[in-house]
Amino acid sequence: MKKTKLAKFAAASLLAVSVALTGCGGDKAPEGGGGTTGGEGGGDQTLTVWTWDPAFNIFSMKEAEKIYQKDHPGFKLDIQETPWDDLQTKLTTIAQSQSWDELPDIFLMQNNAFQKNLSNYPELVQPLTDSGINWDEFPESVKAFSTVDGVNYGVPFDAGTAISALRTDLIAEAGLTTADFTDITWDKYIELGKQVKDKTGKAMLSGPAGSSDMIMMMLQSAGASLFDDQGNPTIVDNAALNTAVETYTRLVKEGIFVEVNSWDEYVGGFINGNIAGVINGVWIAGTIQAAEDQAGKWEITNLPKLDGIDGATNFSANGGSSWAISKTGDFDLAADFLKSTFAGSTEFYDIILPKAGAVANWIPAGASAVYAEPQPFFNDQPVFQMVVEFGAKVPANNTGVYYYEARDAVSAALTKVIGGGDMAASLAEAQSTVEFAMN
Amino acid sequence: MSSTTAEGAMVASAPAPRKRRMLPSQRHNLTGWVFLIPAALLILITSFWPMFEALLLSMQTGKGTNLNWAEPLWYNYARLFQDTTFKLTLGNTFVYLIIQVPIMLVLALVLANLLNNPNLRWKGLWRTAIFLPCAVSLVSYSLVFRTMFATDGFVNDMLMGMNLIGEPINWLGQTGTARFVLILGLVWRWTGYNMVFYLAALQNIDHSSIEAARVDGANSWRTFWYVTVPQLKPMILLTAIMSTNGTLQLFDESFNLTRGGPAYTTMTMSHYLYELSFQKNPNIGYGSALSYVILILVAVLALVQMKVGDKRD
Repeated sequence: MKKTKLAKFAAASLLAVSVALTGCGGDKAPEGGGGTTGGEGGGDQTLTVWTWDPAFNIFSMKEAEKIYQKDHPGFKLDIQETPWDDLQTKLTTIAQSQSWDELPDIFLMQNNAFQKNLSNYPELVQPLTDSGINWDEFPESVKAFSTVDGVNYGVPFDAGTAISALRTDLIAEAGLTTADFTDITWDKYIELGKQVKDKTGKAMLSGPAGSSDMIMMMLQSAGASLFDDQGNPTIVDNAALNTAVETYTRLVKEGIFVEVNSWDEYVGGFINGNIAGVINGVWIAGTIQAAEDQAGKWEITNLPKLDGIDGATNFSANGGSSWAISKTGDFDLAADFLKSTFAGSTEFYDIILPKAGAVANWIPAGASAVYAEPQPFFNDQPVFQMVVEFGAKVPANNTGVYYYEARDAVSAALTKVIGGGDMAASLAEAQSTVEFAMN
Repeated sequence: MSSTTAEGAMVASAPAPRKRRMLPSQRHNLTGWVFLIPAALLILITSFWPMFEALLLSMQTGKGTNLNWAEPLWYNYARLFQDTTFKLTLGNTFVYLIIQVPIMLVLALVLANLLNNPNLRWKGLWRTAIFLPCAVSLVSYSLVFRTMFATDGFVNDMLMGMNLIGEPINWLGQTGTARFVLILGLVWRWTGYNMVFYLAALQNIDHSSIEAARVDGANSWRTFWYVTVPQLKPMILLTAIMSTNGTLQLFDESFNLTRGGPAYTTMTMSHYLYELSFQKNPNIGYGSALSYVILILVAVLALVQMKVGDKRD
């Protein structure tokens, strides 16, 4: 069973590669054809979209297409699955070689990468401030990712509010309930994790080795970051980071957090029931629900908070992304499409919310009754209402242009610390790596 | 140089005034040039021109497309010497080079020799089996190796099934084992390729020289070492240069198999070059400088090998 799954993943990856390669051939839908704003008949009504997660943002795009098609029968989307790493590489290559017509009309961009790409390639995307979208309907903290000098460049899609999901049947074997994991510190989490491990032999968490997602979530939960307000790296002498790295190291050493080597292995861990919990952005809910046999066995709660850090909270975020219209995109059609769906349709959010776990950044969607509905998969918890409440309490932190450099440097430091290296020295090395990249 | 000659050739070969008849040797020469021109032009445009552009790029700095001439011009090259990540990737690449290339070439040589045995049965089958890995795409085999050496992958399952290890080895999570897996992959993928070169060379060795050695009482090892290997020398030199070149430019395995991890300790120079240019804040100028350093390293090593290996006089 496991083997076939792995084989499938391998096959899927191969397919993705070959698709990406053929994509270079340039069989792109002609862009800028009609440009008729929502007009019937005339012009080309197809938009090309690059985005990456079939259970989440691709699903949402397809639903948005259906909604928009009701009023615009000729409208079509050509959605091309492009993993984020590939998408970033393509953007860089296209922008660097100025082959702008290779761009799709719309693409999804990680919020953390927005500032970087706009600073390197200011003409990559079109400004959306005057697109007719009501920007007051998006929260300031989320808009900030895709705003430069007061100009909006992205329509926020998901916020990536973090959740701690638990397999209630597994923790019950250790005599624990979700309430025991709510509003706790990491110290307590490790203690409870040991109990679960003793009784079930299963770890609470897992994650790809050499990925610092968990560290970044811990940092943000305390409003901390790897940069100060001026954008200088603060990897050394960063109390929150030190505590986060120590906590992570303890989690791994105690066997409560299992490091795996790939995303597939990570997903396989909880899908196959070998891992008793997940801490990640709420977008992971779509993936958790893929294990239909585990329906009703999952519950969610807030995150553990860092011990002894000022401003530490039980709330954080990981990921989050926004839609952008490319330089060569059919602006009128694409803007109208986004305005009528992601920034203007409660009907749309009511569909994607329960199926994909796409918790909206669009404030009017929050008033929808769907949010308060109990979710059978999560043991009838009103998961999305909870997530919206969590989201309101997530401390803001700054990421900056060199976010990925800093994150990767910290990942490398983390690997060294896990391998027995000295924490202060490893972090100092990470600091100098980032400073080197920035000068 | 070729383009002027080319035009001359076109004019001369046109059926216009037949004043001056070409000598047969001249005509022969011209035909040669005409045949050369298309390929030469293609190489010039698709290979040498980008290399020249990259040289210019390597002397520029700036973010994205906003590039300016560096102050001083060799700034990017000087910067490389300060870059600890670059030094690490350089070291990694040389670890692969020093360990993997000799193992692979010796293995290829031995296999070629075994398969060259005239009394061996099912020769075609063995040759195909050993050469077959070369027909596999680099990305696919890297992904398969990655899956096989996952913590819950085939290799761990097998070793645990045979009770050789108590708990799964985190192959790709530790520097030593990750490098081992990468080298293993390289050996698997490329040994057959080099073996074919040796086989081809072995066919050209006059079998009587080997028989003569046997008659003179040399055992098979001495025959191999003193009679076969010297005659293979040009081919060994060729494969050594090709493998060195290939290893210094190693990318697919680092990118797909280990993803450069853990903590950059398996990342190759080319992978780092890719990361600098396309994944992080794109620093194309710096990346170009790095690519030129790789070029220089390949050239220098090839030169050394030619000096050491080629003792014809």
